[in-house]
Amino acid sequence: MRRPLLAMVAVLLAALALAGPAASLTVVEVAREVRCPTCNTPLDVSDSPAAQRMKVFIAERIAEGDDKQQIIDALVDEFGRGVLATPPKEGFDLVAWIVPIVLVLAGLAAIPLVTRAWARRGRDAPAPEIAPEDAARLDEELRRRGD
Amino acid sequence: MADEPATDPGADPAADRRRLIGLVVGAVVTALIVVLLVVGLLNRGASTAIDDALDAGSRPPAPDLQLPVLVSGAGLPPAGQEAALADLRGKVVVLNLWASWCEPCREEAPVLESVWQRYRAKDVVVLGIDIQDLSDDARTFIREYGLTYPSLRDGSDGSKAALEATGVPETFVIDREGRIALHIAGPVSRTEQLTGPLDEVLTET
Repeated sequence: MRRPLLAMVAVLLAALALAGPAASLTVVEVAREVRCPTCNTPLDVSDSPAAQRMKVFIAERIAEGDDKQQIIDALVDEFGRGVLATPPKEGFDLVAWIVPIVLVLAGLAAIPLVTRAWARRGRDAPAPEIAPEDAARLDEELRRRGD
Repeated sequence: MADEPATDPGADPAADRRRLIGLVVGAVVTALIVVLLVVGLLNRGASTAIDDALDAGSRPPAPDLQLPVLVSGAGLPPAGQEAALADLRGKVVVLNLWASWCEPCREEAPVLESVWQRYRAKDVVVLGIDIQDLSDDARTFIREYGLTYPSLRDGSDGSKAALEATGVPETFVIDREGRIALHIAGPVSRTEQLTGPLDEVLTET
């Protein structure tokens, strides 16, 4: 029972290894990592003349056997780092990645502190004043229940 | 009434201090976000300072551009090396923003070449800046149209922003003192669009 299954998995893995990442690379996969410099939208959804030329450039580089990173590096050489759809995770650009995470963590950390402060405020608050007629009514109700 | 304490029993100096710190931090964060939004909004719209100055009859200084040479000529360094617009001070410069994917640039390339041929002996330099383009495409364009005037290269949109251009093609005439004397947004379709202003600028000493 197990042997055919294992054989099938092995064949699948071998096929994947042979196919390699470069062979399955598509223009869209690279295009979504960069932006169109004239329209400031991701390249995969841009159709401007400049974007069309960039897609041809990507297709040619894929045909030449370049991998995704090599093509992205070539586009950065041509258009500068501003062509990247997301800021690189290094140097000052790291700020764009770290700040949102820090803010979310700070928000999560603040929740127990704030709720504890609210709970304490509720506990420490003096009992509300009761009107004499309400107090009399309450006494009356309690007396009636006690009977 | 007499037995009421002089101060609020709930008052706690430490809690007040914490509340104050919270308020200050909140106010600072809010102020920072507002400043970022305002700066973002102000920088969104393209500046029109150059056109405004030209409309008012003055000549604004050309931005100090420094870019790699795509195709050399007119005394510029060889291709690949950096050249500065300021290096051409003393000459009249016809600065043209272009790209190989830009259709109107195809229309004006022969016009600019003819202006270059006619004025190159009069200390005028026609200088292209190829922007937002693939360098191989740009070189193919230059060969295709037989352009002999030099071009710089700017893959980003830095020079476009510095010149307050909204697209390609756009052309500027820069006088001998490095000031912008003319701005043509859109293609130069007739040589007269440049020859008149060039003749006028050339009469200045």
